[in-house]
Amino acid sequence: MSLWRLEWIRLTRTGRIFILLAVFFAFGIIGPLSVRYLPELLEAAGSEEAITSLPPVTPEFAMSSYLGNALQIGLLAIAFVGAAALAIDAKPEISVFFRSRASIRNVITPRFIVVSAASVLAFATGVVTAAVTSGILIDWPEAGPTILGSALVALYLVFVVALITVMGSLVRKVPATALLTVGTLIVLSIIGLVEPISPWLPSYLVGGFDAILNGGDFVYWRAIAATTAVIFGFVAIAVVRLENREV
Amino acid sequence: MVMVETNELVKRYKETTALDGINLNIDRGLVYGLIGPNGAGKTTLIGLLAGLRTATSGTMRLDSNYYAVLPDSPAFDPWLTAYEVVDLSRNLAPTDVPKSAVDEVLEQAGLTEAAHRKVSGFSRGMLQRLGIAATVVGGPDLLLLDEPAAALDPAGRREVLDLVASMRGKATVLFSSHILDDVQEVVDEIGILRRGQLVYDGSLDGLIARQSPRARYVVEVRGDGQGLAQSLLSQPWVVMAAATDSIVTIESRSAEDIEGNLAGAVAGYGLPVVSMNPHVRSLEEIFLEVTA
Repeated sequence: MSLWRLEWIRLTRTGRIFILLAVFFAFGIIGPLSVRYLPELLEAAGSEEAITSLPPVTPEFAMSSYLGNALQIGLLAIAFVGAAALAIDAKPEISVFFRSRASIRNVITPRFIVVSAASVLAFATGVVTAAVTSGILIDWPEAGPTILGSALVALYLVFVVALITVMGSLVRKVPATALLTVGTLIVLSIIGLVEPISPWLPSYLVGGFDAILNGGDFVYWRAIAATTAVIFGFVAIAVVRLENREV
Repeated sequence: MVMVETNELVKRYKETTALDGINLNIDRGLVYGLIGPNGAGKTTLIGLLAGLRTATSGTMRLDSNYYAVLPDSPAFDPWLTAYEVVDLSRNLAPTDVPKSAVDEVLEQAGLTEAAHRKVSGFSRGMLQRLGIAATVVGGPDLLLLDEPAAALDPAGRREVLDLVASMRGKATVLFSSHILDDVQEVVDEIGILRRGQLVYDGSLDGLIARQSPRARYVVEVRGDGQGLAQSLLSQPWVVMAAATDSIVTIESRSAEDIEGNLAGAVAGYGLPVVSMNPHVRSLEEIFLEVTA
């Protein structure tokens, strides 16, 4: 049993990986489905005005709908699943087991990478599901832009896990770590409204999904560079803080 | 050769001084018992030695290649099996330990039948034994055990004490306990903590010898012993005499005084004597005296 296998077992035996997959899979179906049948639903409800203001039913709109819905509940799920693994001092007796046998870096690294991988896998599952659902109900989205846009969101999700990691070094309990992460993401999205700062923020990457699918230019290098640096920075800060924190 | 050495070790939590100038020397291969009342600083000292806490001041040195620590209430991820916990611990040991060691230590801990059960269903005693198995599997040369037998039934305690005793010579063991009989049974040396201070550090014999030179005898007479106690109190060599029904306890300043005078004084009082024995103070009495 290695620390890597331990993290895989943590995700599977607790069912957390299935929660993540289920959330993104569900929105992968709901997103395109709602786009395809929203005009009919609104018509049945008698909202003629709303129908005319709807964008055309396209695979891009279907994928956008998936992302918009999935990222809200999905981020909340990632925050709690991630915090359950990355708040390493939540239970001091369990923490003693790891801290007295391995360095903090060796404890944190597999947790960070496995949770990141699980989050990206769940998101990718949702993307594939949404693409297939869209392909069946509307039309297939273009593969290249979908993959490129998904890669940007995947990097954003890794940033979210890095944020969980650093929050786990600031507070101890799982709910506090998760809620502090979600709170910080909300604050970041508000800061993202400031135009000159926005292209540097990780949240800018999420907007890239829609933009690239709709034929927009690739203007995300600054956000990619900044996000990558922040990911490494957050993990490094977390390791240093945890090394200096008493159990 | 010294395995654990601390020099004026101090640990403060805001206004509270948990450890106050601890100077400890534990030789390699010894079993060292750390005793003290609740809040004396035992867990804090083990936490400092294990690197889980940081000293406010002072220094410490562990001459250990691999040390393992067992907290007072060991806990593990509940979805792991006992085997997986011990195997993980084996895998994290700095040296290559064969996989067969997992089964061996689980057997020593009496957990062979529960090896593939999830830890979530374990009792406190089973968790304690699993903690010990996970602690010893990597072959550490220093074991820091915080109350390792506290949650165990008499049979389990016996097994743990045997395990601790079997480590003598192979590893240095520092274990804390408030069960004095356990300490008395297995330790080579003892340290007594009181309010963050190490009030005694040395051998058990040394501790007993260091105590008050006063000697105590217990005399059982036929009938009420109150009169005899009063009579003995008038003797110049008696510092204390008290009776509870037919049992009279007498204390003198020295063994010579009591051995030379007691028999004659009791015989002179005229009550039939059932028995007359020296009272050997238990470790518990000495402990209470030292920590009072």
